[in-house]
Amino acid sequence: MILTGLAFVALVLLGTPLFAVIAASVLLAFSHTDTRLTVVVSEVYRLSEMPVLLAIPLFTFAGYVLAESQAPRRLVRLTNAFLGWMPGGLAAVVLVVCALFTAFTGASGVTIVALGALLFPALTQAGYPERFNLGLITTSGSIGLLFAPSLPLILYSVVAQQLNIGQPVAIGDLFLAGILPGTLIVLLLALYGAWQNRGQAIPTTRFSVREALGAAREAAWEVPLPLIILGGIYSGYFAVSEAAAVTALYVLVVEVFIHREIRLPELPRVMRESMVLVGAILIVLGMSLASTNYLLDAEVPTRLFAFIREHVHGALGFLLLLNLFLLVLGMMLDIFSALVIMVPLILPIAVGYGVHPIHLGIVFLANMEIGYLMPPIGMNLFIASYRFNKPVLTIFRAVLPFVAILVLAVLLITYVPWLSLGLLRH
Amino acid sequence: MPTHQLPAPIARFIRIVTWVENGLLIGLLALMVGLAGTQILFRNLLDLSLLEADQLLRMLVLWVALLGAVAASRDRKHISVDVLSRFLPARLHAGVRAFTDLFTIGVCLLLAWQSVHFVQDERAMAEKAFGAVPVWVTELILPIAFALIALRYALHLRHSLLQCCGREECR
Repeated sequence: MILTGLAFVALVLLGTPLFAVIAASVLLAFSHTDTRLTVVVSEVYRLSEMPVLLAIPLFTFAGYVLAESQAPRRLVRLTNAFLGWMPGGLAAVVLVVCALFTAFTGASGVTIVALGALLFPALTQAGYPERFNLGLITTSGSIGLLFAPSLPLILYSVVAQQLNIGQPVAIGDLFLAGILPGTLIVLLLALYGAWQNRGQAIPTTRFSVREALGAAREAAWEVPLPLIILGGIYSGYFAVSEAAAVTALYVLVVEVFIHREIRLPELPRVMRESMVLVGAILIVLGMSLASTNYLLDAEVPTRLFAFIREHVHGALGFLLLLNLFLLVLGMMLDIFSALVIMVPLILPIAVGYGVHPIHLGIVFLANMEIGYLMPPIGMNLFIASYRFNKPVLTIFRAVLPFVAILVLAVLLITYVPWLSLGLLRH
Repeated sequence: MPTHQLPAPIARFIRIVTWVENGLLIGLLALMVGLAGTQILFRNLLDLSLLEADQLLRMLVLWVALLGAVAASRDRKHISVDVLSRFLPARLHAGVRAFTDLFTIGVCLLLAWQSVHFVQDERAMAEKAFGAVPVWVTELILPIAFALIALRYALHLRHSLLQCCGREECR
């Protein structure tokens, strides 16, 4: 059994598509039982039995349409008009814009590609040192994962709901839970940006009412979006999948018919590209539904919990171990695979230690944000290296101080559950 | 995906398949966006909820997801751990890719075969998914998608082998 396990790990490292490796391992595992192998495809079919999954293609499509339009430029102007006067203001602008943008595009690297070209020259022009700029933009590519309606938040809720852990893991609650930890991360990084560039002669722009009004008028169509999503959901007016449908339709009408920044003939390409990402994620989810089914049948999480409880005492010890484990995991796996493969194993154990499932979700995703910046896999490093034509090692050195701040933030998020749960208890 | 080095009838077949895949994917996504929007309008303006539309929407998620996965196969955009490509020499890497392509083809053919059984079982039960549409029809996308993914990887395999043997330039 250990040999087969190693063989599968080797297949993953050789670059085999993850869904095929998971499918093969599940087919093999079920072939040793009396269960018919059609169980694997019947689990994939269950993708059509989860109403909330509808939100994933709709939000992703909306995110791709926004990325293709001039919305990022308008967002930069607007944020700059309101934050540009502060010391380190432009750095804060970068963080806020990237966080908002990543929330919509799901940290798939789109942020660095779409906004990097816009923000990097702006930072350089304003007089920030190059190394700082590289670090900042590379890091910004993944912050924002904790803000609604990011795909990883939705995916965590979908996976957690499969596990019958006795506590509901509603998407709406996760959306709320991410607000304070996400803001904490942006705030800490913005403070670092201001502190790091103290004493440097970086001119700040004076706050101008006229520019603020002009920027607000230009972005008037996009500004209501977060309100529509969050307001709609928390007023009970929309279900999450309905909010996604409204967002998709709204963005489509605004960018294609009002701003006319995406021409109608280009739309099919954008649609197809966005669904490539959705297909790649959902097929891994489908296969992992099958593997979760097998793991639960074989009572793997229960046995794992019994084993760990013998060696680790108390929730704090467990959480520390979890942080270390997730950091290493984040270095090896991308966030979507890590979610669908690891949450079914980790969540039952965490609940056994008395960790709230919502808190665990936030801790998990916050850890994964760091994984994006760590070699050997860290996707942001490679995208930034490609985008800015710099060696990966240079980029990695540039992000190190940012990684240190993120580690601090993750520790705070882990050991102060109130940050994640505070907004829920009202 | 280049088809110019393939025999003409196969190249034409691949082009038609690609066209149908794209058309279905884009059409179904458009239907999904439109239908989901109409649902909300109906519910809020007319206080009317179409149960059948909900079921159709959930089915569309499955179809769009699997067609998206087929599209991802065409561009090699599936989620995978991509470490080796940065360290291996190009031709050796092509060889490794040929091996993983072969593995993926095998798994997908097995999944397609199991899907055929799955559809047959459901057909015997003759249940309806929504309206007059039987459940087994909605399941047809499973064998089709897995077979198409296998086809895409078979085309990749050909390129990987040619590159490994040095008869085609490595990208």
